[in-house]
Amino acid sequence: VTQPLLDAELALLVDAGSAWAKAAVIGRVRGRWRLVTHAAQPTAWGASELRATLTARLRGAADPRLAARIDDLFAGANRIECHTAKRPGRLAVVAVSREVSGSAARRAAEAAGWDVVELVTLDDGRSLSDRLAILQTVQVDAWLVAGGFDDGRSPRGMDAAALVASARRPGAGAVVWAGSVALADEVRALFEPDAATAVANPRPDHRREELAPLRTHLQELLRHVAAAERETNLSTVAMPRAIGALARTSGLRVLGVDVGARTAIRATGDLDGSVVSRVHARGGVAGAIGAPGGAGRVARLAGDAGDEAAVADILQTIRARPASVPQLPEELSATQAAARMQLAALLDDDPAEAVDLVIGAGRTIAAAPRPAQAMRILLDGLRPLGVTQLAMDVASVLGPLGSLDDDEIGEGISLLSDDLVAPLGTAVVTRGGEAGRMAMRVTVHRPGWPAFAPIEVRVGQLHLVPLARGQRAELTIELGSGVSIGAPRRSPRIHAGATGGSVGLVLDARGVPMGLPKRGDDRRAVLAGWRDALQRELGPLGERVA
Amino acid sequence: MSVIHRVRLPIGATPLVAVGHRVEPAEVLATRRPPLTGRNLPVASILRRSAADAVECLAARPGSILDADATLATDGRGRTVHVPEACLYLGYDSNEGTALVAPLGPPEPILGHVRGEVTTVDHDEIEIRVSGALVTGIGGSGAAVHGELRLAVHDPGDELRATAIDTGATRRILVGGSRASAEALTRARAMGVAGIVVGGVLDKELRDFEATQRRRREVGAERGGFAIVVLEGYGKVGIDPALFDWFRANDGRMASLFGDETRLYVYDADPSPARRPLPRPGDRVVAHRRPHAGLAGELVRELPGPHATAAGVAARSALVRFEDGRTAIVPLANLDAAEPVRGTRG
Repeated sequence: VTQPLLDAELALLVDAGSAWAKAAVIGRVRGRWRLVTHAAQPTAWGASELRATLTARLRGAADPRLAARIDDLFAGANRIECHTAKRPGRLAVVAVSREVSGSAARRAAEAAGWDVVELVTLDDGRSLSDRLAILQTVQVDAWLVAGGFDDGRSPRGMDAAALVASARRPGAGAVVWAGSVALADEVRALFEPDAATAVANPRPDHRREELAPLRTHLQELLRHVAAAERETNLSTVAMPRAIGALARTSGLRVLGVDVGARTAIRATGDLDGSVVSRVHARGGVAGAIGAPGGAGRVARLAGDAGDEAAVADILQTIRARPASVPQLPEELSATQAAARMQLAALLDDDPAEAVDLVIGAGRTIAAAPRPAQAMRILLDGLRPLGVTQLAMDVASVLGPLGSLDDDEIGEGISLLSDDLVAPLGTAVVTRGGEAGRMAMRVTVHRPGWPAFAPIEVRVGQLHLVPLARGQRAELTIELGSGVSIGAPRRSPRIHAGATGGSVGLVLDARGVPMGLPKRGDDRRAVLAGWRDALQRELGPLGERVA
Repeated sequence: MSVIHRVRLPIGATPLVAVGHRVEPAEVLATRRPPLTGRNLPVASILRRSAADAVECLAARPGSILDADATLATDGRGRTVHVPEACLYLGYDSNEGTALVAPLGPPEPILGHVRGEVTTVDHDEIEIRVSGALVTGIGGSGAAVHGELRLAVHDPGDELRATAIDTGATRRILVGGSRASAEALTRARAMGVAGIVVGGVLDKELRDFEATQRRRREVGAERGGFAIVVLEGYGKVGIDPALFDWFRANDGRMASLFGDETRLYVYDADPSPARRPLPRPGDRVVAHRRPHAGLAGELVRELPGPHATAAGVAARSALVRFEDGRTAIVPLANLDAAEPVRGTRG
């Protein structure tokens, strides 16, 4: 008796990050494409090790009749890959003042995905000779010069431009002038033809800051710098494309955030498939130590990771060894607090508008030991006002799918449907109100279940209601005095839908931004209460409050 | 073993070496005349033009180095603006009609801080082939320095204490153990130590020390260089005993330390113990996350499935028998395989 020949179709989705490589195997199972297995390992371990891991896992999961043919199936599998840019675009910023033009230029550059390797300002206390020596030895792909308001012809602005003209060798990188508009022609004349471009001043006067035109220009410039690599295979391009396609196919406004080791990506997809994205070159977890006051902020946000000095050592270790794994609870706490801080920084210049779905990606979020920890990173970092579903890209498939051709991305997303992301649940986040007073009273109606009594959540509290994956609930929300969930209120009661997930329904009245006590002991107690409220195992009616 | 070391040259530097030249760490590879404080030079008034019109008469581009008496601007009718001394032309102020120039100071030497053979001399860099061993760290601070290596602790787990630094350490590169305190760093600088190589350092202490270095530079008190390279981790982290033994074998050899680039060259030395990711059973390994950071041992076996750390992170893990007698399960991602040392040259 001969066994009938069994065949299978496989595809391999690979996301090769700067520190970790993630791969997912999808296969056609009973006529449907399903996520079969996935694995992640340090990128330095190499592709063959990753394949060996996947093969071993597949052998354990696949039909035994396929076991002998796994290698052949892999060899014939379609491979869809995205990767982090081999190195980020490097930029030197030269500005008149550290606090005004320099700060604005730096933030615009970082939000456009550039790695600002040097910031020289005319008020940095260095001598002219030192400034020149620094700039003459720096190796960059482009130069950004800023200074002067638009209503004047600041001689200091010209000094900044002249400094770059003196330090830069002709042809050594594009020059962007983002200073006084009145000086644009003179600045251009300092450089060889077509070397310098003038962009709208991010600080047109002492009151206004308009970073968007500069950011857009720098994003475009970065694409030219990275043009050596196929653009759609870059994670910074692929992930936002997938978010755009997901928004179009799902009919939801989707915010995707990917906190990697080195970079962080934020992409907002709209119902028409359009997407707006930002890349922070040092926005990853390893970049936390370089953020202003980074160690102190992470120590305060974590509460249980030790003092500032201890956290600084942990963050430096993460910077130096981004592919390593936290072994001790305080190290994990610091890592997750760093991710929350970096997420918040993604929104610094441009707060997110209300969205229907937030998806978290990157190892710190997607590989968090407990789903509640991933939920907390997203909630604390993003503070998504209103009623929002939250999910995570556990298998890191969004990036690879986004590297497909335009017409194939939506198809790939539709094919994977339920396996695409892992739902964490739904959050109701409020803003405003007086501490200790009622923030919201929520009635949860679940079809086929007895109704809970209305749940009252006070300002500053976090409340978890069980709502399993696949379950839906109708919420009736009554807001307290001075409390808002973002949308204009036409009736005292707001009705909204909620979907469940591995965490459930989170009623979050901690405010936007979140208020934390100044006194250390109080702060630690409050943070521990929030952590425990989300992480406790839930019983059948196991609501938790902190 | 040889590695290529690149020395970047600033604009206007004059190389003093040629391809094939053998250089020593203290040898001057090039000279550079640094620009001094800028000053304004009248242009429009000399050319008898308006400030705006005089722009067209400029004969130099900002960033140009001009020799003494070189032409900065000319109107083509005999009126010319010369620079009185060699200078860097920085820019023209079309409101004031003046040019900003920075006179060039006396030549300053550019040292390579490495021993080797010059392989390329370019306008912006000199490449030198360095014969010796390269050790790279995970962090560091400070400029390039060179000096004799000297072991300053007895055991890789010992702290480098301020009391261990005496006049005998002057102009030497000290190899510390698991930590160098802020006090030790300050004393080392005061005693004229060239640099320190250490297993671990507290980030806060290193940053505080960097801040004092910066302040000293600003007030002109910092003259000699001083560099630190961190090899293993942040916090109190010992040097891998095998690497420490290698340092012991090379005690007294000339070395070059590049703090900011986290590199150490040791001349005439055999290769240092190498590391590679993804260790296998039987490999000697070094752990680099707490609670085992800096400890070395043998990877006994890999666990069949993922294992959760105390933090709850599930990861491929291995059983490791550390050289201090402890046995622990450690994520593979937190281990490097330490390649065996191939002996040292006499």
